[in-house]
Amino acid sequence: MIEVSGLAKRYGAFTAVRDLSFTVQPGEVLGLVGPNGAGKTSTLRCLAGIIPASAGTIRVAGQDLAADPVAAKRALAFFPDEPRLFDYLTVRQHLNFVARIYGVADHEDIAEPLLEELEIADKADQLPGELSRGMKQKLAIACGLLHSPRVMFFDEPLTGLDPLGIRRMKDSILKRSRDGAAIVLSSHLLHLLEEVCSHVLILKKGEKIAHGTLAEVSAQFANGETGVSLEEIFIRATGGSEN
Amino acid sequence: MIRALLYLRLTSLRNLVVSRIKRLRQPKYLFGALAGAAYFYFIFFRQINSGATGRAAKKLATAPLPTDLATTLPLVAALGALALLGVVLLAWIIPSDKPGLRFTEAEAAFLFPAPVTRRTLINFKLLGSQFSILFTSLFFTLISNRWSFLGGNALTHALGWWVVLSTLNLHFTGAALTIGHLVERGVSPLRRRLTLLAGLLIAVALTLAWVWGDIQGPAAADVAGVAPFSHYVTGVLNGGLLGLLLWPFKLVLGPFLALDTRGFLLALGPAFLVMLVHYRWVLRMESVSFEEASLVHAEKRAATVAALREGRSTLGRPVVKARTAPFYLADTGRPELAFLWKNLLSTAPYLNIRTFAVLVGLILVANKWFLLGSGTDVRALRLVVSFTTLIGAGYILLFGPHLARQDLRSDLPNADILKTYPIPGWQLLLGQLLTPVVILTGLVWLAVLTAALAFEPNRALAATFTPAVRVVIALSIAAVAPLLCALQLLVLNGATLIFPAWFHSARGHGGGIEVMGQRLIFFVGQLLVMLAALLPAALAAFALIFASLWLIGVLAAVALATTAVLVILATEVGLTLWWLGERFEKFDLSAELRP
Repeated sequence: MIEVSGLAKRYGAFTAVRDLSFTVQPGEVLGLVGPNGAGKTSTLRCLAGIIPASAGTIRVAGQDLAADPVAAKRALAFFPDEPRLFDYLTVRQHLNFVARIYGVADHEDIAEPLLEELEIADKADQLPGELSRGMKQKLAIACGLLHSPRVMFFDEPLTGLDPLGIRRMKDSILKRSRDGAAIVLSSHLLHLLEEVCSHVLILKKGEKIAHGTLAEVSAQFANGETGVSLEEIFIRATGGSEN
Repeated sequence: MIRALLYLRLTSLRNLVVSRIKRLRQPKYLFGALAGAAYFYFIFFRQINSGATGRAAKKLATAPLPTDLATTLPLVAALGALALLGVVLLAWIIPSDKPGLRFTEAEAAFLFPAPVTRRTLINFKLLGSQFSILFTSLFFTLISNRWSFLGGNALTHALGWWVVLSTLNLHFTGAALTIGHLVERGVSPLRRRLTLLAGLLIAVALTLAWVWGDIQGPAAADVAGVAPFSHYVTGVLNGGLLGLLLWPFKLVLGPFLALDTRGFLLALGPAFLVMLVHYRWVLRMESVSFEEASLVHAEKRAATVAALREGRSTLGRPVVKARTAPFYLADTGRPELAFLWKNLLSTAPYLNIRTFAVLVGLILVANKWFLLGSGTDVRALRLVVSFTTLIGAGYILLFGPHLARQDLRSDLPNADILKTYPIPGWQLLLGQLLTPVVILTGLVWLAVLTAALAFEPNRALAATFTPAVRVVIALSIAAVAPLLCALQLLVLNGATLIFPAWFHSARGHGGGIEVMGQRLIFFVGQLLVMLAALLPAALAAFALIFASLWLIGVLAAVALATTAVLVILATEVGLTLWWLGERFEKFDLSAELRP
């Protein structure tokens, strides 16, 4: 579903991501972790087609992102850490706009249950400026889910959410995963990874340190110990510093 | 304590200057600084160094006074004092919503909980405002050095400006604190304004009574020429209650308007006295609670700065309200229309097809009822209306694209989301351009319709500009207008994609000579690109008209030339859209903005 091979991202002389390869199958949730500046956001933005990769290939739902970006983007949804919304469009108008962009026929039949599920149906005629941070996040998710994407990218999905919002976000990610979506998310919150992710990829200074299921990565850094927490695994994997 | 606060101010200033100098290593700032410096040199400094004004100013310091200067200055002083009175009154009647003492978020966080007296905080802010006052004084001196009606020299002007601006700053601070004090005591803003207006009305009434009672209005001799009328106005402004009201303001203006060094030194004393009285007044207001208002203001300011850093200007933005959609947007179809639909929602609600239809109706009615007739007055009015609206159309085409920004320029903060949409770059860009093109074209069409209906050539031109020719010319302009708007908008949007770092720094926060220079370079660059883009179409149009006029007649020649222009402009727009669309697909704002 997501196939990444030899991905690199350079900003001038600075290399943010180097020679990164991995795959995410339908139903898998891959957690991207790493210290600040490890290249998590750059990787996610390359995968979503927001920024061009400097080298390597990315295939989304079987489509080469560089060769046929339009086809690849039809299958994906990107959720930034800060919801990017249009100030002058109401909740309902946001969905109408997105439906036209993705060509979602009879979008209201999909939008209404989606708004109900995300508990923002009563805010349908409100503008983003009238919504709380959590509500904005829900609207961004509704917009992303409207075209039923098979691939999803979440950048720090829990930023700014209250405990109830965090619980619902986790449930939502797991539900899409069970429905067969391939999901990649980046987060500093390791307990989120333990609860939500089937796989984990640890990055440091743009390079892959570890990749596999949670059990595989734990085994790689546990040194034979049992019951080692993911936090401890992360510290051991990254050497306890950004550099 | 004040030494620590002074250290904060001076260190911040030094670091600001150092960072500005350091960023000159980036070409975008270096070229901007060079362009800005050249602008300042040619506009201001060259005048001082070698221009007539500079020489005149130097001569004035030593040469005897010209008599006309001596007679003009009292009028200038009186009018200047009247202007200052107006400014001061506005501060009371329409006070700023900003607090009297404005602190940044960092200052509020560090200083409010610190063991610092309120008097020290006030002195800190007053001292801090001196940096901007000194800079503004120097800038104003560059401008006022060109005024031929002034005596003195650059130094007395600079110090004079400093006295005026410092006193005004103290007055505004005192007024804001006093208003805060009144509000604390339960005096409503309405009651305060009514009291002040009543006082002002009484002062004006007393002045008028004095003028009419004592001077009996201007005599015939007073309005016989500029000099006697100036003398009369000076007399009115200097006498009676008004003269008394203006007296302290004239003291403040004294150093700036001094004719020579001796006069300047003599005027400094009274001016400082006025400043001292103001300073005492501000210190007496130290008990007024300014912290809460300062905190609210600091938060607002921080939010504005953050918005500007993200490229979202919040200045002058009206309160957003939910609106009904401009038209029905079907779920499927061309995605460009979705952007037109979205961006129309972000414009003023009156910019719609209904308003356009009403305006067309009004133009037709006005033409039918007010511009009919063969009298000289009506013909002159028709000519004025025609040329005014044509010039208006030109202005819309020239400056409209800079103002109508409902396109990619406004949506750049959402670039991340836009780039995930499954549509090619050229389609996205075309969709983004549609709203400003539609709005500006509508305005141009209204102007052209008015001009075409109102234009009535005189007998000499009537043979050339027959009604049929006028209709064809009007239709040609109307047909070309959308493409001209699109081309301009493409240049402006293209600049944001090709030079995003330049665009971001020129549109963003902060100022400085380098940012001003960047804007100059941008403007000149846009003009050159537009000229280059229009040249082929213009040449083709002239060549076709010249070659075919005698063969096929004027109507067909204009139509042929218009068709050629449309083809050339449409090709240019199409090619530019395709190229910029490719550019947008590869666009990486994060890479462009990395230091």
